[in-house]
Amino acid sequence: MALVQNRGAARAQAFDFGEPAPWIVAVVLILLPLVSNGFFLSEIFGQTLILGVIALSLMFLAGYGGMVSLMQLTIAGVAGYMFALFGVSGSHNISLNWPWWLATPMALALATLFGTVGGALAVRTEGIYTIMITLAIGAAFYFFTNQNYALFNGHTGMNSIETPSFWGVDWRASLPFYYLTLLVAGACYFAVDYLGRAPFGLALQGVRDNPRRMAALGFHVNAHRIAAYAFAAFLAGLGGILQVWNYKQISPGSVSPDACINVLIIAVVGGVTRPVGPFIGAFIFVMLRTFALDFLREIGLDGNRFRLLIGVGFLVIVFWSPDGVIGLWERWRRSHAPARPQGGGGHG
Amino acid sequence: MDSVAQRLANVGSSAALELRGVTRMFGALAALSDVTMTVRPGERRAVLGSNGAGKTTLFNCITGDFLPTSGAIRFFGEDVTSFPPYERIRRGLRRTYQISSLFPGLTVEDNIYLATRGVSRGRFSFLRPGLSDPLKAATRSLIEAVHLTPVAQRKVAELAYGQQRQLEIALALAGAPRFILFDEPAAGLSPTERRELIEILTSLPSHIGYIIIEHDMDVALRVVESVTMMHNGRIFKEGNPQEIEADPEVQELYLGGGHG
Amino acid sequence: MTRFVERYPFWSLLLLIALAILLWLVFATWPPGLEQAIGRKKVFLNAVFNGITLGGLYFLVASGFTLIFGLMRNVNLAHGSLYLFGGYLGYTVSTATGSWLLAFVVAFVVVAAVGVLMQLLVFRYMEGQDLRQTMVTLGLSIVFADLMLWVFGGDFYQVATPAWLVGPMELPFVTAVKSTGETVYLSYPKVRLIIFAGSVVIGIAMWLALHRTRIGMIVRAGVDDRDILAAMGVRIQAVFVGVFAFGAGLAGVAGVVGGTFQSLAPGEDTRFLLDSLVVVILGGMGSIPGAALGAIIVGLSEQLGSVYIPSYAIVVTFLIMVLVLALRPQGLIAAR
Repeated sequence: MALVQNRGAARAQAFDFGEPAPWIVAVVLILLPLVSNGFFLSEIFGQTLILGVIALSLMFLAGYGGMVSLMQLTIAGVAGYMFALFGVSGSHNISLNWPWWLATPMALALATLFGTVGGALAVRTEGIYTIMITLAIGAAFYFFTNQNYALFNGHTGMNSIETPSFWGVDWRASLPFYYLTLLVAGACYFAVDYLGRAPFGLALQGVRDNPRRMAALGFHVNAHRIAAYAFAAFLAGLGGILQVWNYKQISPGSVSPDACINVLIIAVVGGVTRPVGPFIGAFIFVMLRTFALDFLREIGLDGNRFRLLIGVGFLVIVFWSPDGVIGLWERWRRSHAPARPQGGGGHG
Repeated sequence: MDSVAQRLANVGSSAALELRGVTRMFGALAALSDVTMTVRPGERRAVLGSNGAGKTTLFNCITGDFLPTSGAIRFFGEDVTSFPPYERIRRGLRRTYQISSLFPGLTVEDNIYLATRGVSRGRFSFLRPGLSDPLKAATRSLIEAVHLTPVAQRKVAELAYGQQRQLEIALALAGAPRFILFDEPAAGLSPTERRELIEILTSLPSHIGYIIIEHDMDVALRVVESVTMMHNGRIFKEGNPQEIEADPEVQELYLGGGHG
Repeated sequence: MTRFVERYPFWSLLLLIALAILLWLVFATWPPGLEQAIGRKKVFLNAVFNGITLGGLYFLVASGFTLIFGLMRNVNLAHGSLYLFGGYLGYTVSTATGSWLLAFVVAFVVVAAVGVLMQLLVFRYMEGQDLRQTMVTLGLSIVFADLMLWVFGGDFYQVATPAWLVGPMELPFVTAVKSTGETVYLSYPKVRLIIFAGSVVIGIAMWLALHRTRIGMIVRAGVDDRDILAAMGVRIQAVFVGVFAFGAGLAGVAGVVGGTFQSLAPGEDTRFLLDSLVVVILGGMGSIPGAALGAIIVGLSEQLGSVYIPSYAIVVTFLIMVLVLALRPQGLIAAR
């Protein structure tokens, strides 16, 4: 399937500082707070960046590694819950009241561990099982948070989670949080893009394309897959921490199987062949989620039919452009490009 | 090509590859049956036989794609019978495939770079290799050695068949191979390409031994000094190329059938 | 079985001991100390029976899933939606006509037809693209779930047990001995036992069909090695459509069962999909006996867990899944 096939394979390229598009986007994002108000900033762009980071972790595994993992959001949820558990929250009988600079690394470490173990389980089976196993892991965690009161406060979840405040700045305030999120998302984006052509990323792509050959070249194939899960878990954990700082609360609904599937939809709709795909997908998803009510009423449907919209949109993409929005864009570019001499370099 | 004796004297006489009683069953079918053979370091040998004789299964057992049902395999003195493939490769074993097994979505250079990376440290490195990186240099010289420099930046899927076969060989030459298994390297090549292949094989450094599976007798018998004939999963004849070519049993069973 | 004992003597011994303990717990009269420690025997017996009958339900859902997955390598993530749809259909039919049995027939036929449409209109054109097919089932599951939510709303629906099955049945298992010396026997709902018996019959019928008919042989060959089917010159598409339809129909029937046992509501589709996943992971892809074993294990662990360690019940099921993945990733009853 084009989702993870070789043809348009996730192509990490050498930094092409000549291309204007990324610079324009970067400048726009940095200057955004000057023109947009709090709501847009945090609910649209903030959520785009955070969901984008979590979907980026899925893109890393699926696009570079050929492994479609439905537990990335779960891992983000683990990070969020662990931050609430170790840090300060309204659930005084559960939270350990550690300062944020201890709770955060702890939460990240636990989330990474969770993702690595999950990955270690998933790699022992044929590729097609990966979706099943990761979905089952995600579901198990969801049911666990619902049932368990000692650690997760069950159905209610944890509220009034305290967010960091240091150097005289309340980092949860609209402006600082936006820049913090932008910084983290930007760093993750560049890391994934850069890694694509480092041995770590290149070997992963080799494992995706021809694992038998990789073994015959001296690579320990499963070790590379598990290492990829570990890295992706760390990314998802970062997203999860930002999300729990954003909402200051977390509950089973945050890690439901539906939410896990949303992340897959975001990644696929945007396109898993390039690191920018997840962010495009996230933007579309967030816009839909925010404005679906009005849109649905326009076309005469009940405003509650948001999931129907998402499902139909996803089916359309899977049928007509499995490479997502990026695939559409590249097809458009190819059909409008001047005829080029054959055998050009450029695309890494 | 050096004389056999000279090369053996240079290299020493303990075995590079030793198979003892190797049997591989698939259900009730014995693909390999009690195979015992010894190959010296630097020796060049051909394994011939009709389809289904067990040649590729032999290779798969040596590389570790399958574990033998019984028997033992030693590589340069070390018992590798239960080692996974990557452990054997890191000890100097290499292999090419009858149907090219490459990375279609990556460029020629990336393919070879991966091959050099696979047998070196730093496989998990997060740092991109700089221009002066030694593995990058090794990659460039390998590309030259197999005459693929003009297409180094092309994706494998865009290469001609013959170029893909050359790349297949290049992957086996990466790092410091000590012993290579070539599975039908001449399959589908034009006469010119066949000559190039013979040249590449015969100009390999003398310490590198290899086993070649081939149907093309012209190529096979010209690049080896010993031949093993297989039939129905067993070894049924061994000798040097001249002996084998002249042997009446071999002719009846194999050569007489019009194999090219 | 003897081969298993030969190859894994340690595990066989452990299993034997566990089985012996279980049998003793079920058949013997519990000494007072035991009742004080872990509760009444009646509770335990009920949990065990609930677990086994629930396992029968899980088997119905999961066996269709495992056949589709095994033969066509299609992870049908819309399977839960088919279950729920069958359930809603069964509810509608049974309230409209008053016939419980007719509900089963309609559910099977209509959901099987949906399966035929899915295979013919969609999956046939994605031959060999396993991942893409799975994505499509995902999208379909989202669409189906929302459509059903629209039509049936968020209420809980229950399919009425027919009058001739209402009420308990006395079973020859002792729950307690009264101070008068009179033994008390377990009394258990008839309908659950009948349905379980039905699942067993269906399971045996499927196994027979797979192992004694030509079509069954083709399906089994295809599960083992998909490319063989093309080489055999069989009309693959017909087989695929048949298997998908049958699997879907089974899910629909299971929906009516679930609606009788428990209830139908949005979210049940996800829950049964996930249970199917775990059952298939435990039992092995494409294996009917595997699905049966996996279903019993999941049913028992869920019920016993929810009775004795309610806030960690899911952990038990999950740990079993992890154990199987770690030790025998191909599943408990897979050939390889």
